[in-house]
Amino acid sequence: MTKTTGIQWQAVVNGKAREIEVPPSRRLLDILREDLDLTGTKISCEIGRCGACMVLIDGEPMNSCLMMAYQCAGSEITTIEGLHGETAEELHPIQEAFLEEGGFQCGYCTPGMIISTKALLDRIPQPGEQEIKEGLCGNLCRCTGYGGIMRAVESAADKCAYRSLPSPVVGP
Amino acid sequence: MLLNRQNSGERWRKRRDGKEKVTGELRYLTDMTAEGMLYGRVLRSSHPHARILSLDTSAAENHEGVVAVITHRDVPGLNRFGIAVPDQPALCEDTVRYIGDAIAAVAAITPEIAAYALSLIRVEYEVMETITDPMRALEDTAPRLHPQGNVLHRTQVKHGDAARALQNCAYVVKEIYSTPRQMHAYMETEGGLFIPEPDGRLTVYAPTQHGYKDRMQIARILDWEEERIRVISSPIGGSFGGKDELNVQPYGSLLALKSGRPVKMHNSRMESVRAGLKRHPMKIEMETGMDEHGRLKAHRVRIVADTGAYATLGAPVLNFATEHCMGPYRWEHMDVEGISVYTNNGVSGEFRGFGGNQAIFAMEGQMDRLAELIGMDPWEFRMLNRRYPDDPGPLQQEIWRTNGLEQVMQALAQSSLWQRRRAMSDPSAYDFLSDASSPPWIKRGIGAALAMHGAGLGYGIDDPAGGRLSLNAAGQIEAAFSYEEFGQGLITTLEIMLMDLFHCTSEDISIVIGDTDRVPHSGSSTASRSTTMAWMGLQRLKNPFLQAILQKAHDMTGIPLEQLTTGEQGIWQVTLEDDTEVSREWVISYREIAAEAQGNEFTFDTKFSYPTTPDEVVGGHFLYTYAAVAAEVEVNTLSGHVRLLDTYHTVAAGPAINPMGFIGQIEGGSVMALGFTLTEDAVMEEGHYMTRNMDTYMIPGIQDMHTSLEVEAIEDLPENDPFGPRGIGEIGSVALAPAITAAIRQATGTWVTQLPVARDQLIRPAGVWQQEGVRP
Ligand code: FES
Ligand code: FES
Repeated sequence: MTKTTGIQWQAVVNGKAREIEVPPSRRLLDILREDLDLTGTKISCEIGRCGACMVLIDGEPMNSCLMMAYQCAGSEITTIEGLHGETAEELHPIQEAFLEEGGFQCGYCTPGMIISTKALLDRIPQPGEQEIKEGLCGNLCRCTGYGGIMRAVESAADKCAYRSLPSPVVGP
Repeated sequence: MLLNRQNSGERWRKRRDGKEKVTGELRYLTDMTAEGMLYGRVLRSSHPHARILSLDTSAAENHEGVVAVITHRDVPGLNRFGIAVPDQPALCEDTVRYIGDAIAAVAAITPEIAAYALSLIRVEYEVMETITDPMRALEDTAPRLHPQGNVLHRTQVKHGDAARALQNCAYVVKEIYSTPRQMHAYMETEGGLFIPEPDGRLTVYAPTQHGYKDRMQIARILDWEEERIRVISSPIGGSFGGKDELNVQPYGSLLALKSGRPVKMHNSRMESVRAGLKRHPMKIEMETGMDEHGRLKAHRVRIVADTGAYATLGAPVLNFATEHCMGPYRWEHMDVEGISVYTNNGVSGEFRGFGGNQAIFAMEGQMDRLAELIGMDPWEFRMLNRRYPDDPGPLQQEIWRTNGLEQVMQALAQSSLWQRRRAMSDPSAYDFLSDASSPPWIKRGIGAALAMHGAGLGYGIDDPAGGRLSLNAAGQIEAAFSYEEFGQGLITTLEIMLMDLFHCTSEDISIVIGDTDRVPHSGSSTASRSTTMAWMGLQRLKNPFLQAILQKAHDMTGIPLEQLTTGEQGIWQVTLEDDTEVSREWVISYREIAAEAQGNEFTFDTKFSYPTTPDEVVGGHFLYTYAAVAAEVEVNTLSGHVRLLDTYHTVAAGPAINPMGFIGQIEGGSVMALGFTLTEDAVMEEGHYMTRNMDTYMIPGIQDMHTSLEVEAIEDLPENDPFGPRGIGEIGSVALAPAITAAIRQATGTWVTQLPVARDQLIRPAGVWQQEGVRP
């Protein structure tokens, strides 16, 4: 096998400028999990169907299993590790809501769910039931049956509105 | 009690493992890496049934970056695994029996090289006839898939004379039900990290439902002492029964030992589909008769289960289906025969509900058909025929008496969903059920079903339990069990139990699970048994433990023993007047007591077994959980699309220790059952999967979720019940399918017999309601 020549891939990941050499077609999912050791982004279907690998790219939710290095070079990427409350030690109100309402069980879909919820609430701060379902329709969960997730998103919307936190809070 | 956050009070606790999960900090075992780690890949069979004529791995071995290649020749011990019957080759020698069969595996410095190396392995096959239909497998001319033939297991239950009785029944319903090859579809696919340690041991980080069982099986494959292997098995990104059997462990272990380096395995989704277990597809034929008053008389059942290429838990699953295909009803004549048949399809094994789902779908379907035939309300019909608390169990065995059945039946009858059904039970009112604002081709219906579900492994199967309670060096009350956390919330359930017992805080507690080096052998997390087992274990350990630490506190302080009690951070002195506490004073911390410990002074172990029926009925259960489910659906008769609108689950399982976990299990089980009913089927053609990933294998998404799902827990148990809370991991998934199909019947007039529901069956011109399906 011939070695593919790499590109100098640069991006701002969770507020930090990162630069590594990778083949241009390397998946963002692998860059995050393997090169940058950010394993909060999960791997499950690898075809853009389950949402376990969801991250924000310039604020938009994207499946990192479908995104290649050259496509996201130069962007601002937020993974679950970059989401937190007012200080880095605090939880984001969405994370808080998932904890309180039982929005997860095994937790494997949770980072992706929370990222999609973040994108949803940034767009629609007080979503109705149908809007929540649309916002999360790209994320599968096998454990919760989505009941806890629905409650968590509803409560997160209230919390975000109540605290009127500036969104997104991206840490160092 | 209607379970929700408001009604749960302090028991509604944030999960102990929650913060790590919502922040993404948690390292699952498939997230782990190690210095100098290699990547493992498995070469699987190209054919569902073939002889291996030759196998050449030299090109792969010589490829740059490949560190180890293994075939069956590299298996030092028993080249077989299987939780009950070890008949699955770790690496096939001469024959492949399904598309997931492993032939070789490689470890290389990158995943890409490992994948490429697989393509360099030359295998010559002689293709053989593929058996995809169990009925074909039973023919004399069929090739034998195993030396003993193509029958894995048979069951039989007979009392009375069902054949004769059926002839004398006023009404008989005969139907054949079939159910799909459902996939567990846990979000985390199988994988893990395998590390050869400098001291000659092997550490296995790989999810399982029973670390000790894995350790035993890996040791058997490696021909090692079990103690040389350490299995770390939690946390797990979902299992539902699918990770109870070994999956990547044989390859990871063998590759790590051959290469002398850590090896990481992580199945792709396609590989997970190809190699992983599925729910047994079953065909269940039922002939059920009643007298002219609607009393059940006779039941004749024939079950054929497609167990696929290897045994795994096919036999116990068939036992369970056999036990559960007669429902919680009274019968005079019973005749059940089951057969579990090997084919060249994917391997069927353990799956939440364990064969109950298939059997209950059929049994409850019969009940609805019979009720309709005689013109009775389906719930009244069930009431009339229900078993009484003193009746023996389904297999005529002694069972533990509770009022659970009666209670769930009453609760369902009073639910608002069923009340709505009652108001409209007249067929001519079906249209009325539909929302006035919706178009005429949208039809609504409501159905209900009942389940009596056994917990534990059943009579005749070793079902050990136990646990350890100690005061650890850090001054925490430490509970250790060999159970696993695969998402069900066990850790929090344990935490709540410990807080209840010792009135301490969560900081005073340490919970150790999922590590064979640190926990005693206390059985597996399976068969809805962990909650009951942990509760029983702690009941046994509580007194000796308390005595020891309170005695020590007394020795250290001189305060009278009877005034000492455990509490927040340590021991408190409590003075009572007429049983009410009048004062509470701080005495000494757990840490100070721990510092005084001599050896294992504060460590207590217990060993016992899951309660079983005294009657010698193989597989027969002693403890049962009861549930009733009602479902409302909407059917679009132009597209055949079925939408679940509203669901009510009531479960009699004793005290809901962990309400958040309880609701989660019922909701999750319910939606998993929704998939089983409407969309999920791992379709195979000629032994190959047609549905290879989540784009064609359709599990429910949030859009498919019903708007309302009510969970009502019936928390009573008989006074002084010695078994405590019953498990609920499976019961949410077993009775929804028949409730939905009953609702479809009411909405459209169609009786569904095959799952997942075929849409084309439900398409009909608007406004037409046809009577069909019942054969007297
Ligand atoms: S792993 Fe990317 S969507 Fe499933
Ligand atoms: S919590 Fe397990 S997949 Fe969602």
